[in-house]
Order: sequence, then C-alpha cells, then structure tokens
Amino acid sequence: MIEPSCYERSNDFMPNRLSAKSKEETEEVFEPSKATQLYIVWRKLRRSELAVVGFGIVLAVSIVALVAPVIAPYGTGMVGRSRRPPSVEHWFGTDAAGRDMLTLVLYGARISLYVGLAAVFLNVMIGLAIGMVAGYFGGAIDEVLMRITDVILSLPELPLLIVTVTFFETRSIHVIVLVMGLIGWPFMARVVRGEFLAIREAAYVEAARSMGASSWRIIIRHILPNMFSTIIVIASMDIPWYILYEATLTFLGFGDPLSNSWGVLVQKGYLYLTSAWWMITFPGVALFFTSMGFNLFGDGLRDALDIRTRGR
Amino acid sequence: MGEALLRTNGLKTHFFTAEGIVKAVDGVNLRINKGEALGLVGESGCGKSTLALSILRLIREPGKIVEGEIWFEGEDLLRKSDEEMRNVRGAKISMVFQNPISSMNPVFTVGSQIAEAINLHQDVQKHEISERVVEILDKVGIPDPSERMKDYPHEYSGGMTQRAMIAMALSCNPRLLIADEPTTNLDVTIQAQILELMKALREDFGASILLIGHDLGVISEISDRIGVMYAGKLVEYSDLAGIFEKTKHPYTQALLESIPRLGTEQERLLIIRGTVPRLINPPSGCRFHPRCDHAMKICSEQEPPLIEVGQGHEVACFLYS
Repeated sequence: MIEPSCYERSNDFMPNRLSAKSKEETEEVFEPSKATQLYIVWRKLRRSELAVVGFGIVLAVSIVALVAPVIAPYGTGMVGRSRRPPSVEHWFGTDAAGRDMLTLVLYGARISLYVGLAAVFLNVMIGLAIGMVAGYFGGAIDEVLMRITDVILSLPELPLLIVTVTFFETRSIHVIVLVMGLIGWPFMARVVRGEFLAIREAAYVEAARSMGASSWRIIIRHILPNMFSTIIVIASMDIPWYILYEATLTFLGFGDPLSNSWGVLVQKGYLYLTSAWWMITFPGVALFFTSMGFNLFGDGLRDALDIRTRGR
Repeated sequence: MGEALLRTNGLKTHFFTAEGIVKAVDGVNLRINKGEALGLVGESGCGKSTLALSILRLIREPGKIVEGEIWFEGEDLLRKSDEEMRNVRGAKISMVFQNPISSMNPVFTVGSQIAEAINLHQDVQKHEISERVVEILDKVGIPDPSERMKDYPHEYSGGMTQRAMIAMALSCNPRLLIADEPTTNLDVTIQAQILELMKALREDFGASILLIGHDLGVISEISDRIGVMYAGKLVEYSDLAGIFEKTKHPYTQALLESIPRLGTEQERLLIIRGTVPRLINPPSGCRFHPRCDHAMKICSEQEPPLIEVGQGHEVACFLYS
C-alpha cells in the first residue's frame, strides 16, 4: 500500500489539479474548490474495486432511467403476443399483457430510482430538521423528540409501512414515497443530533465563536458542512432499502399496481413463475443489481468521504 | 503607568458541577494597558484559560461569571447584550487557541475562513477581501499566500496553521489579542518562530496582548508585565524586572526556580511539591500555604490581600504586609 501522504501529495503535480486551479478559481477564490474536493473523493473511491463497481452500476441505472424512452425498443403498451419467451424481437420476452419486458424493465428503473431518491430526500429533510432542533435546543425539546424517535425506531419498519399505507385511500407511488419518508427519518434524526452535539464541541466552533460568529452562522457555516459527508453516506446506503421496500410492499399487495415498478413486475411475474420464468427473472435481477450497486457505492463513499482521513 | 485598555474587577467565574462549585476564577483584578503585553502564568488548572474565556464571555454551561466587572474601552463587557458582545469578539478582542490544527474548520479553505472573519465585522467588497487575506497571510509569514490561501487546513503544518490562526485573529485589527498557550502544542523551533512573529506583529498592529502560558521563560520573551495566577487568584503582578529580580511571592520564586537554565550549576531542577489544589474545596486562607516553605500561622487563617510593594509591583502574601 502506498503511504497515503505521498500518495495524495503527488496530487499537487497532477495535471488535473493544476488545470482545475487555473482559470475558474482565480475568480471565485473563496468557494471551496469543488472540483478538487470531488477529485480527491474520486481518487479514494477508486482504491476500492467494489466501490467502483457499485459506482458503475449506480451510474448505469441512472443513465437508463434518464434515457429510457430513447433506448427502449418498444412503447410500454401491448406490442406482441402474450408471454412469449426471450427472442430476437423481445430480448426479455413479453408479459401476460403482451408488453415487451425489456422496455418495462428499462422504464422500471425510473420508478425505482424515483422511489429511492425521493424517500431518502424526505428522510434527510425531516431527519435534519428534527435532529438539529433536538441538538440545538437540548433539554425538554430534545427529550421529547428523541423519545418519539425511539418509539418509531423500535417498531419494525415493514409492518409499520404496511399499516401506514393502509391509512391512505389512494395508493399511488407518491403516497408510498410519502409514507416511507414519514417513517424512515428517525435514524437520520439520531445521527444528525449526535453529529450536531459532537461538532458543537469542536475547537473550530469555539474559535468561530471567539471571532464573533452568531449561533445561526455557526450552524450554517461550521456545523452543517461538517455533517454533509455523514449524511451523504447514510443517504446513499438507504436508497437501496427504499427501492426494496417499495418492491416488497408491492409484492405483498400494498403498492401501486399501476406504476410498473420493478416490484409490480416481480409480483405479476410471480403468478407465472412456472410458465414464464422471464417475467419475474429480469426485473428481479435488475432489483438485485441496483440495490447491490447502491450498497457498494455507499460503502465506498463512507471510506472516501471520511474527512478525518481525507487528503492525508 | 499607561492608560488601561482592559480592567477586570473582582471577576469570579465558577463552574457548577455535580460534585460542587469549582471556583476557577475567584476574584481577579487584572489590568492590561494600551499597547502592552501582559503574560499570565501559572500551573495547569489554575484558571488562566477560564479567565481568558471569561473576558470574551465564552464561558459555557455549567460555568458562569458570577460576579465582577470587565471594563474594556470604558464599557463593562458583562453588561453588554449578546449581539453587542458578538461585535466585540473578533473585532476588538480576538483570541488564538492552543490547538491550531483543530481550530480550523476542516471543510473550508484557510483563505475562506479568514475571509469569513473579515466579512463578519467589516463591510468590504469581495475582491478587496481576497487582497486583504493575501496581505495578512503574507504578514504572518505564510509563503506564497495567494496560492496557499486556497489550501485546506490539513494541508498546512502545525506552525503554519497557528500563523493562519493569528492572521485570522488580527484580520480585523483588534485592540486586544488573547493568546491562550499559542505555542504549547508546537515543537520548540516553531515555538520560537511564533513568539518572534507575535513580537513583530505587536509593533505592527499596536494591539495589546494577553499571553497565557505555564512557562515563565517563554512568556517573558514578549511580555512587558507578568501576572502570576494560582488556584483562581492573582498572586503577583509586576513588570519583568520585578518578577525576575525582586521576586516576592514564594510561588513565583518556585516557578522561577523550575525554569531550566544553561550554564548554571543547578544539580536538579526544583519541583514545586504537591499539586494545584482542587478548586471545589480550596485550602483556607492563602491557597498556596500547604505547598509553601514560608507558611506561617496566619496563612491558613486569612486570605492575603493584593498589596503594592513597589512601583507597579503587587503581591498577595503575608510575608510582605
């Protein structure tokens, strides 16, 4: 293993960094140089092969989701005969309604990514708000918020999701996302509160205070940015969970049957498990690789984003 | 005597812990004149840092300033609102801490942090700020400041980080710079450089300095006057000559004898016996009497007042009253 310090130091002479520093930065000197920071993170991420594989999968799924209408061979409607096995015309076969499975799987990436990202976004927002309020005010407010958090955390997530979903009359995919956002935040809130309390004691916070920074400024400029890496890592590792939860809910019959998410495809395919294996296999494989990709990527990010070791 | 810039009157800062009340600063009268460097020495745990933080009103739970006044430029800092106090911190009184490396926010560049400090107190255009940062980093001896300002704190060495911290502290031309053991965590050669720098900057910026440390030798390098603290009290206060040549207080004498010196035939370095008393339950009377070679009966019964024994030389000891 190369000694990290000289490994990173060689960085100074890399053309990438030099070029990144040349033009744009002389104008905006006071913004942390995003290019350089991202570059350092990328270098560290690259040290782990699995993380790179994960990143590749995440990137591929994201691209597929973005350009699904362009690369899909057919529309999402009926295009052929029912339950045809994989062939030259239909690589992944057709489903019971005569729709092209490849097209459905490609479009499914959109829904699954939407579910994962949106649910995690809601989690982060709610968790950040509650965690920060608890950490900042402390005392009784902290106590009440954290006990609520504990109660939700102590309940098993899947049954809780099912019960909550049944409160809603419509079961569109957006409702599913909303419910996941409402139920998933406690862990994030806990972490945010913990980080808040830890960073608040940091010497640089004291130094900022001694320079006359207000509490608000300290939170925005010093505490929040130092939390980002933790939040990003947890968020990236939570995404596959929500993709899988959506699939599970759908499979169990609590999802949005009209959404054509991978979960819906798997559920429908399950009915024809013996007669049309391709209907369940391809969306299942897509689910498997996507969640694995996010997990590996999240793991790699956790190592790469650790500020305490970055650049040393 | 010059004009006073900062004066504390019977300042008491106590910490209300589960075990009891820790009287970290217990009735300190301190005076720093304009343009003067005052060194504050004492062993660890005698309340020096608490005194410094009290001046900036940065004492946090469970600590509290319970009594006293802090007069600064004709105003009592203890009567100021939080917002008024924020306008004092950094702008009029700023502070340099003991751990330079952890005193910088790891996720922002050094330059942006100094720029933030300038931004907090002064209305300066964006491009001017950049020039100011370069200028001040140059003054504290950062080589190639326009490039190095774009570095992150972890790309700096300990000594450079402390230079940058000093730059940040001086960025708004404060009247008083409090340096709390600024060289303690640096190695000896860097220590000397930082002291030299502070000496030079003092002339440059005309700020008063409150230098806190435990090493009388180091502190005397740049101080005009020395205050010796023991267990939350100021026990001796004088100019350098008074401290080194007409040493009065037995504790100061002991501190002096524990400085290693080259060329003297000292066989062993003196060690002050015992340790600083726990400030929850300090000894009665003079707090130094259990460790003092000259302790008399009265020392354990009454608290010695700070009395003047010479020109600007004050001491709190019954040997001189």
